[in-house]
Amino acid sequence: MRYALYLGCTIQSEQFGYEASVRETLPRLGIELEDMEGVSCCGFPALSSVSKVGWHYLSARNLAIAEDMGLAVLPLCNGCHLSFIETKHFLEKDPELKNIINMNLEKEGLNYRGDIRIVHLLEALHDEVGTQKISEKVVKPLEGIKLASHPGCHAIRPSDLQKVDDAENPQKLDDLIRALGAETFDYPEKIDCCGSQLAVTSGRVTLRIAGEKLQAVKSYGFDGLVTTCPFCFKMYDGRQRAIKGALKDASLDLPVFYYTQLLGLALGSDPKSLGLQMNQSPVGDLVERILEG
Amino acid sequence: MMDKPVIVIGGGVAGIQASLDLADRGLKVHLVEKSPSIGGVMAQLDKTFPTMDCSICILAPKMIECFRHPNITIHTLSQVKEVTGKEGNFDVKVLKEPRSVDESKCTGCGLCSEKCPTKVSDDWQKGLSERKAIYILFPQAVPLIANIDREHCLYFQKGICQVCSKVCPAGAIDYEQQPEEISLNVSSIIVATGFQELNPSELGEYGYGRYKDVITSMEFERLVCASGPTGGHLNRPSDGKHADRIAFVQCVGSRTHKKGYPYCSSVCCMYATKEAVLIKEHDPGSEVTIFYIDLKVFGQGFQQFVDRAKQHWGVEYVRGKPGEIRRNPLTKDLAIWYEDTMTGNVYEKEMDLVVLCTTMIARPGNRELAGVLGLKLDEWGFFKSKDPVRSPIETDVPGVFVCGCCHGPRDIPESVAEASATAACAAEVSRRCAS
Repeated sequence: MRYALYLGCTIQSEQFGYEASVRETLPRLGIELEDMEGVSCCGFPALSSVSKVGWHYLSARNLAIAEDMGLAVLPLCNGCHLSFIETKHFLEKDPELKNIINMNLEKEGLNYRGDIRIVHLLEALHDEVGTQKISEKVVKPLEGIKLASHPGCHAIRPSDLQKVDDAENPQKLDDLIRALGAETFDYPEKIDCCGSQLAVTSGRVTLRIAGEKLQAVKSYGFDGLVTTCPFCFKMYDGRQRAIKGALKDASLDLPVFYYTQLLGLALGSDPKSLGLQMNQSPVGDLVERILEG
Repeated sequence: MMDKPVIVIGGGVAGIQASLDLADRGLKVHLVEKSPSIGGVMAQLDKTFPTMDCSICILAPKMIECFRHPNITIHTLSQVKEVTGKEGNFDVKVLKEPRSVDESKCTGCGLCSEKCPTKVSDDWQKGLSERKAIYILFPQAVPLIANIDREHCLYFQKGICQVCSKVCPAGAIDYEQQPEEISLNVSSIIVATGFQELNPSELGEYGYGRYKDVITSMEFERLVCASGPTGGHLNRPSDGKHADRIAFVQCVGSRTHKKGYPYCSSVCCMYATKEAVLIKEHDPGSEVTIFYIDLKVFGQGFQQFVDRAKQHWGVEYVRGKPGEIRRNPLTKDLAIWYEDTMTGNVYEKEMDLVVLCTTMIARPGNRELAGVLGLKLDEWGFFKSKDPVRSPIETDVPGVFVCGCCHGPRDIPESVAEASATAACAAEVSRRCAS
């Protein structure tokens, strides 16, 4: 298993823990990661409201680079993944647009063919490595820890694109959590939005949406929340203090992890190599608990 | 010259009506039914709309009449496998699966089922209770003869047991029965193979299959029926608690261009109203809400029925298709999320039971039967009429007629009316070809 690793802007500018934990854990599961030279922003579907061609151009440009490398592309961020999947879908349907984009890519000596395989981290771990192999490699099982699964909207929707998991009942992240020896169960808010898409326009609403989910997760007795999306992580982890203030709920403290950080702990990696010191939610006690086994 | 017989494929209310009409005109009829009893889906319903008649009470006399009629031969556990010839002279081969019980000896006493040690999920009760490996399909089954489910019978699976054979006072158990091929020569063919309900777990949404208290309308019919698994008590499947807050969700899998089918299922607005009234009759204190896109109540007396449900019984109708059904992992309570599109407000409401009014879909067996008969299917697998307006019950094959839900969703009155129409057409063919 070898992938072209596409990091995307959010991870490279602020979510270092995600990158660190991915680079630490995936090779231990036999996944080789190859860095991509000269990539740009994924295009970010929100850009489509300004320029549809611009969005698809940026997205296809990155895909063309991966196609040149002869590898499937592994975008770590749900937003980048959606952008790639949508561009692939729309350019398949619209050869004229594909031509326009290729005419522009040509200036850089690039060409987007459209046969690129786009793999989400959940697919790489769940479908390609497999939960069986992961649990065999676990040396520090996360026993007795209850973790809420939050796959994030863009991993599962829109459902008529070929998405990572069932839009109504996603289970892959749950299976992966169980593979580490931790406990998880379905909760009603599981597929609710983290709110981050509204951050620019309505900050207060964003905090309320994220906060109500965190409160619900706590009320079901979960010890922490797990995701693979940097946007969702940013909301629940980085903005947890702001959420506390907005909701006037001082008791609202919930450890939030990237899946790969917990995977690393279970595989026996050094917590520092997983970037756990950069998590802003109170992960310390839970990490201690895991390390002490 | 004697008039040739007519074959009716499917023993639901449409097939029964067509058979009786023909038989009363003096024509011989072969009524072919795949399951161990005639009756079809109507036998599984609790009541009928808009008159609130007990469904089996009005169907059972017709079933018995079929059984006793000198002109009708009922072939149960049978399917049409081959048809040759043309209008007025069809040669039909029917394959009869072994019942493993001698039909001439069994008295329907039920002792075999009582003593049979093997329990199996009861499909006829929509999986809400269990039956035995030897069983009578339902109390009013016609013919009232036991049947061995060979897939689950210990004798057929492991060569042991044979308890039924030991206890049967009539000596009717016959493990050696073989499939039988019956050859018939008929003048015309009436297709009345009915429908099946969509399994909403295919849709993913609304949690069917994950949440026990989200059920289909057919499951509800059994649950609320006095001869159903709870004796008619509306106990929710998860924990047996009496359901006081019940929601009906319309158009599940119908009128959609995403997952599901684009057509209207025709009967859900009315049967949901009927089911809501039933709940109120059982327990006037219950809260019943019907979530709909728009109400299609066009039949005779239908609008008055809905008005009465609203005004007299206090059934709440909300225009809005729920977005989601959620379950609290600690309390196991369901909550339904919806927008009331009359006000634009979004609500979350707790429910004990949610009934999904799932669409009627074509039976998968239609494909094989269409091949045998040379009929066309529409894109959803229903039989295609010759012309939907001018000759809705005729097909492209002269002498082959369709009635009831095998050519699209319709209610009981329409199915019965069509059945009588096909009988008239078939009788005309018979007379014409005999002379």
